[in-house]
Amino acid sequence: MILVETAMKNGLLNCFRGLLATGLWLAAASLAHAGGTLTVSSAQDPGSWDPVDTYLVAWATVATNLYDGLTYRKPDGRLVAGLATSWQTLDGGKRIRFHLRQGVTFHDGEPFNARAVKFTFERLLGEQGSKGPQKSNYAAIDHVAIIDDVTVDFYLKVIDPVLLTKLAGYGAMIVPPDYIEEHGEDWFDSHPIGTGPFKFVSYEPKIGIKLKRFEDFWGAKASISRLDYRFIAEPATAVAELQAGRIDLVSTPPGVPISMIGTIKNNPRLDVVTAPGPSVYALRFNTANGITRDERVRKAIILGVDRQAIIDSILSGYAAPIASFQSALSFGYDPDLSPLPYDPDRARELLKQAGIKPGTKLRIDIRNNNASFNEAVQAVAGYLQMIGLNVTIKLYESNYFLNDIVPQGKTGEMFQQAWGGWTFDYDNTAYFMYHTGEKWNPYDRDASLDRMLEAQRMITDRDQRRSALRAIAKYVADHALELPLYNPEEIFGTNRRVRDFTPVPDSRLRLNQVSVD
Amino acid sequence: MAGFLLKRFLQALLVVVAVTLIVAFAIRLTGDPALMLTQGSASVTEEDLARIRQALGLDRPFFVQYLSFLRGLVSLDFGRSFIGGTPVSRLIAKALPATLGLALSSMLIAIALSVPLGVKAAVARGKWADQLIRICSLAGLSFPNFWLATMMVLVFSITLGWLPPSGMNGFSSLIMPAMTMGVILTATNVRLVRTAMLETLQAQYIMVARAKGLGERAVLYKHGLRNCAIPLMTWFGLQFGALIGGIVVVERVFNWPGLGTLAFDAVAARDYPVLQAVITVLSLLIIGVNLAVDIAYGLIDPRVRVR
Repeated sequence: MILVETAMKNGLLNCFRGLLATGLWLAAASLAHAGGTLTVSSAQDPGSWDPVDTYLVAWATVATNLYDGLTYRKPDGRLVAGLATSWQTLDGGKRIRFHLRQGVTFHDGEPFNARAVKFTFERLLGEQGSKGPQKSNYAAIDHVAIIDDVTVDFYLKVIDPVLLTKLAGYGAMIVPPDYIEEHGEDWFDSHPIGTGPFKFVSYEPKIGIKLKRFEDFWGAKASISRLDYRFIAEPATAVAELQAGRIDLVSTPPGVPISMIGTIKNNPRLDVVTAPGPSVYALRFNTANGITRDERVRKAIILGVDRQAIIDSILSGYAAPIASFQSALSFGYDPDLSPLPYDPDRARELLKQAGIKPGTKLRIDIRNNNASFNEAVQAVAGYLQMIGLNVTIKLYESNYFLNDIVPQGKTGEMFQQAWGGWTFDYDNTAYFMYHTGEKWNPYDRDASLDRMLEAQRMITDRDQRRSALRAIAKYVADHALELPLYNPEEIFGTNRRVRDFTPVPDSRLRLNQVSVD
Repeated sequence: MAGFLLKRFLQALLVVVAVTLIVAFAIRLTGDPALMLTQGSASVTEEDLARIRQALGLDRPFFVQYLSFLRGLVSLDFGRSFIGGTPVSRLIAKALPATLGLALSSMLIAIALSVPLGVKAAVARGKWADQLIRICSLAGLSFPNFWLATMMVLVFSITLGWLPPSGMNGFSSLIMPAMTMGVILTATNVRLVRTAMLETLQAQYIMVARAKGLGERAVLYKHGLRNCAIPLMTWFGLQFGALIGGIVVVERVFNWPGLGTLAFDAVAARDYPVLQAVITVLSLLIIGVNLAVDIAYGLIDPRVRVR
């Protein structure tokens, strides 16, 4: 401050500053010409860029460009080499050896090596990680041992078949030991350094974060020179900015609301790009109380709802029907498992068999924060009305619903079951939805389902495990534990000046391949 | 005056304590921040949650947490945000000027529009100008501010491309949010100015002023308006509270990085420190404005000063 004031008083200095500024501006202008700037809207400011601090998807949207993991998951879901070039599973799955990429440096020039890997995981699993939400995801790791400068061994407490995927994101991003030790944790939160294709420039809380191309990136160098993120919470505002030409890309979540797709498509300068999404929506049955205790009633409800019609009308076709609680991208997805057809006559018949009188009451409990799901449930209620059930929908504030209603078993006959995990492994949902005593499973106690869920976790062979997961999905469908609804698409809005943009299913938008006109 | 100020200061203190206590208590009823932080993760165990609560200081009894908040308040240390650990004072320092700038601009617009229009309506009572102003004001009262905001964006940003649709970046970005708030406030204020003026215009001193041959402007603005300034000032002061309430919506639509946006995000994320700090600052602001109004009475109306 004092420095600035002195300069203000000094005319000569001021003049010099002007010249310098012009020079810098010219330099910036020529750089911008070389690669151009891409401006992206992101829904939320995660507050910290430290990988151990957050679970927010909005963090990952940006941080995917700053950091690398040992593995990398491509937009098509394939797991490929990241900072590790190869790995072997040893000791029956209890040890994984990683061979590290050589010649990689962090954005500040610090070398990437085995020490950085060990540091990253000791930090995540130690005191620093304990303060944040990421640690639990990596609880399977016991410790990391350095074999040599480019080789590390991960020793596991238990087999975790999803661990390699988890190493591609969030808490497992490799961070620079010297930089953090020198500048401290607080500094790192707001001045992130990684090995990714873009390096940090500046961050203004609640406003945005700016990145620029990292010239020494180990992989395909970014073709744009600047990458600016603006935090815009309201999707309609983000779309208005896109229409005004002030942002180039509306990222997910929440992406472009379905009601605004038409507006974007009608604008010749803009485009809508979609990818299959990670989230799935269903209505779970209360199998302990009420009419839905009876499997025939549950099947009747599934048969009585035309889910394709809901997708076509309410979601304008931007969703896929599901037969089990997972998307087509999920490990464990079974293309041969098809949802029960829409058959209201058969539904009425089943209800009759079960002795359900027309006009019987049924309550559906849902959260109040998702407009299109809300509409879909109203349509479900309409269909159920047609097969003779008298439905009421009860809306809850999200947090209350997730803490006090579902885990406590206080729901009506049906309740919202929604999930959007990024690992795309059926275990990640199935175990916590169907295993006895889990938080999201307040009603079902099924020993044989428990055994199936536990057994697949011990399998290291991918094909065997996939069949085990498929068997679980079939079991759940056969016992009609839920009314599977849909898997919505991720909807991005872009300016047509953006080239080579690949939409991703998990919001982890790596933008080094993208160029702008 | 000193006694008056001291009394007002003690009242203010009481209000701040009461407001923060209610907010601190109420937000803790709405859910666990540790659960919010870990949402999306199925693998979180009770121990993980307990660890996070401890790191956030939520394992302490409510009154201990509240007292440490009050202690921090004295040194303007509001603690750290639960989301990312940013110091709350840093967030407030950025958001407060943004909100104040927007609120004051809106007030200025509202006053600049409503006073002449209200006076005009009062003078032209029953004539077409009065009717027109009253109909416009009714229309202004009837539509919600987010609708007006959206329409302005549609016209001025998307169709005409004159103004940026959102963000805070120079004067051009202030126009639409301030106009949205200002127009809505004007709709109410016009009616008040009109009513107050009508009353005043019937007073005998107005007749005297006219009788001694003063120009119409002098009669209206010097003798008329000044006499209805007291009720109007009171109203504008009270309105400031409502303005701050309405600003949350407008800030969100225009992505204006002010206290409203901060509060909105904090409620959604159960970010106790941020919400408590924002509410404290806002209540101080409202108390401060009301105090300023009281003091302003004396400046406007010499009769108050004598007393």
